[in-house]
Amino acid sequence: MTIFEDRFHLGPVDFVAVLKTALSRGGDFAELFFEYRLHSSIMMEEDIIKETAESVGLGLGVRVWAGEQTGYGYTNDLSPERMKKAARSAAAIALSASAPGPVADLVPRPPLSGLYPVLEPAESADLNRKIGLVKDAYASCLRVSPSIKKVKAGWGDLVQHVTIVNSEGLLVSDVRPMVKLTCVAIAEKGPVREYGFSGGGGRVGLEAFAAGRTPAVIGREAAEEALLLLEAADAPAGEMPVVLAAGDAGVLIHEAVGHLLEADFHRKKTSIFWNKMGARVGSELVTIYDDPTIPASRGSYAVDDEGTEPRRTLLIENGVVSGLLTDKLSAKILGRPLTGHGRRQDYSEIPIPRMANTYIAAGPHDPEEIVKSVNRGFYARRLTGGQVEDSGKFTFSVSLGYLIENGRLTRPVKQATLIGTNIDILNQICMAGTDLEFGQQTGTCGKEGQHVPVNDGCPTLKIASMTVGGRG
Amino acid sequence: MTGSHPAGDLKSLAEKFVRFGLACGADEVEIGIGDDIEFGVDVRVGEIENLVEAGTRSMGVRIIKDQKTAFAGSSDLSPETIERLIRNAVRRAELANRDACAGLPETFSSAVDPAELDLYDSEIAVLDPQTKIALATETERIALSDPRIINSHGASCDTHVGHAVLANSKGFLGEYRKTYAGLNVSLQAGETDDLVEDFWFSSKTHLAELAPPEEIARTAVARTVRQLKPRKVETQRVPVIFEPMMTGSLLGFLFGCLTGTAVYQKSTFLAERLGERIGREKITVIDDGLLPRRLGSSPFDSEGVPSRRTPVVENGVLKTFLCNTYAARKIGLATTGNADGAGVGPSNFYLQPGKSTPGEIIRSTRKGLYLIRTLGHGLNPVTGDISQGAFGLWIENGEFVYPVSEITISGNLGDLLMNIEMIGDDLTFDGSVCGPTIKVAEMQIAGRS
Repeated sequence: MTIFEDRFHLGPVDFVAVLKTALSRGGDFAELFFEYRLHSSIMMEEDIIKETAESVGLGLGVRVWAGEQTGYGYTNDLSPERMKKAARSAAAIALSASAPGPVADLVPRPPLSGLYPVLEPAESADLNRKIGLVKDAYASCLRVSPSIKKVKAGWGDLVQHVTIVNSEGLLVSDVRPMVKLTCVAIAEKGPVREYGFSGGGGRVGLEAFAAGRTPAVIGREAAEEALLLLEAADAPAGEMPVVLAAGDAGVLIHEAVGHLLEADFHRKKTSIFWNKMGARVGSELVTIYDDPTIPASRGSYAVDDEGTEPRRTLLIENGVVSGLLTDKLSAKILGRPLTGHGRRQDYSEIPIPRMANTYIAAGPHDPEEIVKSVNRGFYARRLTGGQVEDSGKFTFSVSLGYLIENGRLTRPVKQATLIGTNIDILNQICMAGTDLEFGQQTGTCGKEGQHVPVNDGCPTLKIASMTVGGRG
Repeated sequence: MTGSHPAGDLKSLAEKFVRFGLACGADEVEIGIGDDIEFGVDVRVGEIENLVEAGTRSMGVRIIKDQKTAFAGSSDLSPETIERLIRNAVRRAELANRDACAGLPETFSSAVDPAELDLYDSEIAVLDPQTKIALATETERIALSDPRIINSHGASCDTHVGHAVLANSKGFLGEYRKTYAGLNVSLQAGETDDLVEDFWFSSKTHLAELAPPEEIARTAVARTVRQLKPRKVETQRVPVIFEPMMTGSLLGFLFGCLTGTAVYQKSTFLAERLGERIGREKITVIDDGLLPRRLGSSPFDSEGVPSRRTPVVENGVLKTFLCNTYAARKIGLATTGNADGAGVGPSNFYLQPGKSTPGEIIRSTRKGLYLIRTLGHGLNPVTGDISQGAFGLWIENGEFVYPVSEITISGNLGDLLMNIEMIGDDLTFDGSVCGPTIKVAEMQIAGRS
């Protein structure tokens, strides 16, 4: 039984009634997105548990299509009158002259299984257990060095219940767990102060912190990054060979390729890739997938926010554009297959094509050989985010890098933004490592004001030349 | 549980939950309620793409017990849910640690009259959807009539009508209404593989002050086409002129470095600089929550502290940090009325305009970059370091000679404040953080080798 049936006594009869109101003025399609989310957080700084928080997000989003136009209404009051009012707001897009749109009989469908391997759900865990994890990360960070002057450790867990119903007869529900443990360290040496960050989590339970990325590892990594930056020089400025570390640097693929293969930008013909299906846009070494079905990963989901079953989608194969990330609207307009990438921040937002877990496939090169092949260049170790525009110009920010001199990593360097144009950079990827890794499970992607959890992955990569924006 | 919202006025509802919190054993209780009506239309290439209309409510709760804090929030305002969250919060507070700085603000004898701030425009509240659709459609139509514009990301018209209520167990009870109207268009120009894009907008509390479609469209077109056929300049150090929107984003970064929270967390490079010179004499930065009709104004902050005008940097000297009650107690200052949720946020935070016209600033530059857009997030408040992708116009002998793209600018906010040579007279308020054109003596540009 879903939470909407159990707590709010809403069932198929109510769903059909709201769908009929949504299509009362005509319209081709109507959809209901019910959401109930429970979020809990803990924050520790200055050696104390400073605050805890709990929040409930409840609401219904109603969408109606009339041709390619979308009407949308939402409410966080699930009384019959308010749900119908939201449905009438969405219905305003359609012409009242036409006959009511059809509503098919609802046929319940299960979501994919096995994506959320949770043994100890955060939702029902004792708060003291979670406080223990936060304290472990905090203590581990602080004890690395007396130069660590401030530590902030935080916990967040979320469970998102969704039920999606549409006029084509779809009825599917999903309960999506998420946890995140993060640690920030501030290190000081004389007048110099630096910042380090680390984190972990995903669609898992508390058991995930018992091995691998434990609180102790997360705390230590944050401290070590801050300490290393104290010794770091300014990054170089200008064009040079760039080697991207495995894992973190997946953000480059997210920005340079992923966004521009989201199908709404193709429907609108604003993406530089819109007319390049089947065309070569990068070197043979570039094969890119987006896969929402990786168990435990932060970007995964058992059903997308339009009720479509998600599937691993090939975006670029050996340098050639091979696929798009679609939502229902763009798939319909473009005549492309549904890939299950229609996502929304919450019930108040219209779903749009989004990435889930995006990665570049492993290549043939030994990671050590990649570094050895560079005489003088830049090694990007820790990346903190990026941005792209439809023209293909993109940036990503490196918080910690190294100079490469005569095939070896030498001095650590700090804070640099790297900029390029996607097709240019994809063509310049000249080596790809065998060592595919994914990021820390803390990433969030923003598009049109909507934020959704994502993850990225990549092997060690070499870009023949790219502009590095350090202070010189 | 029905999930339906209770009837009745929001002030009594807030007071009722304050009493409930005290009855559950809390020492102090704060309840905030927001009631918002949203309308939005997106038009693209002449057709409505999205039409959104909704009314929503949300509630925020702060509980203090034995100097221990717990927060809660909900968009489900049914009494069952709120009462459960309050009971949980009182219980959870026990698990936090005692913190002498925790707690509600002191009570204030004076209050700001919401009517004097004039933040509510009844015209926005009753504006019919057809008029809003027409505003967006007309803005995009004018922009697309320019043959150099090849595509549109769309035009949008959005309105908000908000009602905020706050009550606490020290007897504070306040409310105000605020409206918002925004109109924007986003465009593309150029050849298929050599696209440039930009946008323009207007956003105000009053419809009468919103820029007309013609002005927004023409500005968006001019901003887009001026970037056509860009070059990549060589790596070098040059003066950089920030146009007002770029000064605004630099001030957003500065704001983050000037909060009391960042000071006690040591996450700002300005933490130890109170009372010292941090910028040139001509730099005065003000946070003012009392400007009538401005988007950043309000009679009180999210803790019920009356809004005020706070000179933060005066003639180059750092006068105070911006605080909520907690951060103020941590660093031994007074709250500046900048509480925003559990954190600290700007009111109207702006750089006082100077005397030079933007034209004079451009003409004063022999060689330099006129910065019009940045890409990326390379701003580090702990060090003040800046490194971002940049788009702009190249200046030689006081004139624009060609657009530049695919370069980066880098520097340090601390150095930059000491190197602001000229400040423009062109301050306008289309957001809560804004500034005029400024000229910085020198920054590092990375481009061609």
